[in-house]
Amino acid sequence: MEVSAARPARVNVKVLAAASLVVVPLLAILVLNLGRDPRSVRSPLVGREAPGFALSPVGGGAQVALDSLRGKPLVVNFWATWCVPCFEEQAALSAGARAFPGVKFVGVIYEDEEARSAQFLKERGEPYPSLMDPEGKTAIAYGVFGVPETFFIDGGGRIVEKHVGPLDSETLALLVRRTLESAR
Amino acid sequence: MIATLGRTLILLALLSASAGSLVGFVAGRARSAVGSLWARRLAYAFAAFMLLSNLTMEYALLTHDFSVGYVAHVGSRSVPTWVTIVSLWSSLEGSILFWGLVMGAFVAAATWLTRNRFPEYMPYAIGVWLACGAFFSFLLAGPAQPFATIASPAADGPGPNALLQNHYLMAIHPPFLYSGYVGMTIPFGLACAALLVGRLGNDFIRPLRNFLLVPWIFLTCAIVLGGWWAYEVLGWGGYWAWDPVENASFLPWLAATAALHSAILVERKGVLKGWTVTLVIATYLLTILGTFMTRSGVFNSVHSFTQSAIGPTILIFLAAALVLSTALLSLRLDALAREGELEGGLSRDTMFLVQNLLLVLFTFTVLLGTVFPLVVEAAQGVQMSVGRPYFDRMSVPIGVALLFVMGVGPALPWGRATRDQLGRALLPPLGTAAVLLLLGFALGARNGWTLLTLFFGGFTAQVTLGEMFRPIGQRMRAHGEGLIEAFRQSQSRGSRRFGAYVVHAGAMMVIISIAVSSTNQQSKEVQLTRGESASLGAYTLTFAGADRVVEPHRESVRARLDIQRGGRELGTLYPRMTYYESQREPIGTPAVQSSLGEDLYLSVHNIDDQAGTVGLLILINPMVGWIWIATAVMALGGLVALLPIRRPAPAVARAPAAVAAIEGGS
Amino acid sequence: MRAVITLALALASVAPASSGPATSGPPPSGPPLSGQALDARTESVASLLRCPVCQGLSVADSPATMARNMKAEVREKLAAGYQQEEILAGFERSYGEFVRLEPTLHGVNWLVWAGPIAGLLIGALVVGAVLRRTGRAPAAAEELPSRHTLPDDPRLAVAVLRVRELAYGWPGGIEGGPGARGGESGGPAGSRS
Repeated sequence: MEVSAARPARVNVKVLAAASLVVVPLLAILVLNLGRDPRSVRSPLVGREAPGFALSPVGGGAQVALDSLRGKPLVVNFWATWCVPCFEEQAALSAGARAFPGVKFVGVIYEDEEARSAQFLKERGEPYPSLMDPEGKTAIAYGVFGVPETFFIDGGGRIVEKHVGPLDSETLALLVRRTLESAR
Repeated sequence: MIATLGRTLILLALLSASAGSLVGFVAGRARSAVGSLWARRLAYAFAAFMLLSNLTMEYALLTHDFSVGYVAHVGSRSVPTWVTIVSLWSSLEGSILFWGLVMGAFVAAATWLTRNRFPEYMPYAIGVWLACGAFFSFLLAGPAQPFATIASPAADGPGPNALLQNHYLMAIHPPFLYSGYVGMTIPFGLACAALLVGRLGNDFIRPLRNFLLVPWIFLTCAIVLGGWWAYEVLGWGGYWAWDPVENASFLPWLAATAALHSAILVERKGVLKGWTVTLVIATYLLTILGTFMTRSGVFNSVHSFTQSAIGPTILIFLAAALVLSTALLSLRLDALAREGELEGGLSRDTMFLVQNLLLVLFTFTVLLGTVFPLVVEAAQGVQMSVGRPYFDRMSVPIGVALLFVMGVGPALPWGRATRDQLGRALLPPLGTAAVLLLLGFALGARNGWTLLTLFFGGFTAQVTLGEMFRPIGQRMRAHGEGLIEAFRQSQSRGSRRFGAYVVHAGAMMVIISIAVSSTNQQSKEVQLTRGESASLGAYTLTFAGADRVVEPHRESVRARLDIQRGGRELGTLYPRMTYYESQREPIGTPAVQSSLGEDLYLSVHNIDDQAGTVGLLILINPMVGWIWIATAVMALGGLVALLPIRRPAPAVARAPAAVAAIEGGS
Repeated sequence: MRAVITLALALASVAPASSGPATSGPPPSGPPLSGQALDARTESVASLLRCPVCQGLSVADSPATMARNMKAEVREKLAAGYQQEEILAGFERSYGEFVRLEPTLHGVNWLVWAGPIAGLLIGALVVGAVLRRTGRAPAAAEELPSRHTLPDDPRLAVAVLRVRELAYGWPGGIEGGPGARGGESGGPAGSRS
């Protein structure tokens, strides 16, 4: 946009200053945030003590408590039968549970029915237990936004990593290794 | 084939817009009549190519031509035809194509309506419009190409987003919203032209105001239709959540409302010219910011399109528009010298300033709250939220203050009022104010802000209705006309004024309804098995059972609830859970029984048709229906205010200037 | 308030796991709630929490299962006697500051609260300055010939009235003129002040 040459152009400093005061910070903020995904929220729990739980396994049986799982690194996977990505990562997790005997795996059912979960587990034959979380209290304590989410806890009960979304074998191996290293 | 045709049409639109923009600026500078004529022709060409490319896309959608990229993305053979038609704006690329159509329509209409007028201004205005048009054509030609060719097309597609298929309001809301957003381009172009020419007289403030009023009406409707959609579809029983995208539509509305009012001062007193132009420009910039917020994926919202590649492109356009506008304002604002004086003291003039201050403050607050999480993220790397509690806390006092000004302002005379005048103007409305306050208290309102709103609302009601009908009484006395003739006469002569007060009456009703509905809601959550009843307030609901409704594109489980109110049968409501193929989780659709006083709102949490159980949220929302009615009143008032542009326009447009000339000469 | 969070964190880490997350942390510091007071308090605390699986809706508003679970937890804690701030801090421990819909007053957050107030003050100063500038224009409207005074030439006066009426739709063209000032009949004479 050009300025008509009829009158000599003089800059109104007050207007320029007032407008810049709004425009410059606004643009700076938008540029700095471009490409950021507002849906991925970093967990404040990483590096902290894992919240405790004591939950019954799918299909019944003795309660499994976090305390009883201490001493070895632990992978806690939140999942549900209605979640397609959970279905996709299940192979990697099963393989991982067999490949890392020094690491414990546990699933936590997120907003799903026990019967359906039991059916699913029977069909797929997962090598580790999944626990019912009836009122979602454990999911809330772990700050779960959706499924699948996976927490990696070291032998001392500290959360080392959180992974959002489906895991593949490479990522799983990498994160398990980091958890093992952090325990030392 | 179709895809190639579409791409060609978009390139032609881009070409005519860029050429027209260039020709417009050159013609404006050189004051060339031929250049001006060509700028007009290119504006029509741009509109025509946009229309044709949209028709091409509709043809592709309706013939299920899955070789066209956008059709493959949102088309489906199993959805009803109306869903196929509105699929045009159901996803990013198509919505920008539709945006182009709306823009073409506005530019063509504005070019046509001003064809024989304002020869000095119009080439610049067309230049600005087509520069904006060129940008959106560029988006369509590159980053958001809807006509990509799919080499091996599939036999069927996924269909549009399930939430959008779920309610007919989705067919209506986007066209209104886009008209509101895109229409702001027109006053923006006129404001830039006024700055470039260096003059804003009474002849030109009128088209500026009217062209601002048209998109303002659309935007008003769009905001409320969006709220209505949320109310009817999202199932949480509210209509406004201060979601970033909702705020994005509210921001330009606030700025435009401020501009519409300060334009009155420009017209009557010859003051605040630079301020008004600034508000109009800010309105447009806020629509672009809103576009960025909706389409960049930077903001978390239920209404936003998913992450997309066009964010950076829109940001570049926003940055360019912001920088150029700032430059233009700081270079040219001084050219718009004022020709009159404001009167201080307790006058209508002062109230206009206070009103403008409140609206700008409101805009600033909503903008600050909306972008603040981004500020904290950038500054500290902390993810935080600014949500409804913040916005409610801030907006309630501002809204109540605005209602106060809306009541007191029109009661005061222009210029300083004497003590006597003040008493006559401000004391009588206190009667209605007290009546409404007591009525609210008697009906159970206890919230302090709500009672204050009712008090000011009553005051505003009396003033507004008085101002609406006083000219009629005066005509009847002065000219001895009958009631109907006096109404017709004062209507046709003062329709803008009358329309403005109709808008005020509607706005007052909206504010009261929001205050009452948000503080007097009753709610209850129940779990029912077949045959069981629950009651809330005067209502008793009996769960008669659940059944399954299968349609080609979806399957619903609905609950049948027989409603009684005070022992009287009111019929059956069917809140439902709907399952779409394209979506794993079901979408709850609430059922609403509306009456003038209150809505009974039922939303399903969980439902099992085999076991015969349902989990329900029952709400009684008072006065929500009034929001929709009052908005219609506002829109109607806006239309009435536009009326004189048709017939007596030239006389009316010249009249104030004539008065000034005659008075000045005497 | 920070102290509360730190304390809560410290205690949470040593709390016995078997007690479950809902009751971990320090003992409740207030009286237990029940009945209608509990219902109302649950709503108001839940309205300050962001539903993690929704977009921007509060736990009080959202119909999502997650939000309902969180609301149940809020209720449970209120019933046990926990205070609003303790409950919010508990959720913040899991979800971060993100979960609070109302920004707390710490760090840069005060800007979001101070901004509008500063805006109001600056705006009021600007409006005041504008009015003061014009206020110097002398005296009240009553003492001066009005803007709407008619020219002395009677023929011209009729023309002016006609144009005004066309423009504004008022008899005599002056709203709040004859009619408002005491019900004299409107006419050319009435509009002279």
